[in-house]
Amino acid sequence: MILITGGAYHGKRNYAKQMYPGIEFVDGISCAEETIFACQGMDHFHSYIENRMREGKKLPELLKIVEKLKCENSEIVLITDEIGYGIVPTDAFYREYRETHGRVCTQIAAEAKEVHRVICGIGTVIKG
Amino acid sequence: MLHVITGGSGSGKSAYAENWLLEQREKNLYDENSENTNPSAPFYIATMIPYGKEGETKVIRHRRLRAGKGFRTFECYRDLAKADIPVNTGILLECMSNLTANELYDEAGNMNKPEKVKRQILEGIRHVIEKTDLLVIVTNEVQGDQMEYSEETKIYQRVLGEVNQSLAGLAEKVTEVVYGIPVEIK
Repeated sequence: MILITGGAYHGKRNYAKQMYPGIEFVDGISCAEETIFACQGMDHFHSYIENRMREGKKLPELLKIVEKLKCENSEIVLITDEIGYGIVPTDAFYREYRETHGRVCTQIAAEAKEVHRVICGIGTVIKG
Repeated sequence: MLHVITGGSGSGKSAYAENWLLEQREKNLYDENSENTNPSAPFYIATMIPYGKEGETKVIRHRRLRAGKGFRTFECYRDLAKADIPVNTGILLECMSNLTANELYDEAGNMNKPEKVKRQILEGIRHVIEKTDLLVIVTNEVQGDQMEYSEETKIYQRVLGEVNQSLAGLAEKVTEVVYGIPVEIK
């Protein structure tokens, strides 16, 4: 697995396309849960997590997806916004989403062969 | 040594901080020049007031994370400068965002003066540093978003930002944890 993180609108997708030309990215905003096991890459992975949480999934079930991903689609490139750097939200759902997204990404980063962080369009390899 | 550890929410800051402190403490203790032949347990200074069920769940999660690591927990929500902490071989203070919020608002919910709050927090840190060779402080980033926050929230963001800057100035080491990966800042 390869994880690319960074703030919103920091040029993560362009960076990913340059680093991994030829990879097709599905959109985490609109794709179904199962798509993650079959695609080459996914953009907006944070929205994929949010959608699963809106369907009622909690951290343990999301970590199972990560586990399955490792076995079934270990070459995937995931692009995510790095959330969790603002004020703790007053809304309970967003509070849980913010923390859960962090835990899921921490698990992915632990398993990933590479982790990149993009700031102002410039990527730094922080793992791999 | 002061090591400041920062990062986003759910990024694994605590786990990294605990493990780093224990490893560094081992190194210090087994250093041949070490005079400490009978080391005390490391201290954990908890600053979060556990409000409601969510707060309790957080505390339980953190306790589970620390279980078996030998920390002695010391709760301190305000007034760190007056905390009665014995001399020891390592302190983990977690976390600065809670301590700052607690200092900024008194128990009745009234806001204290930001300058006084900053002074008080730094005084507290200086007091704690005197008690140990190894202080690890976990803090947070709360300024990475601009929504329509209230004036009070903006003050909180500013105070915590300035406290973080002062701590980083005092620290020998500053690390940002990104999804469990330590990124060296200082």
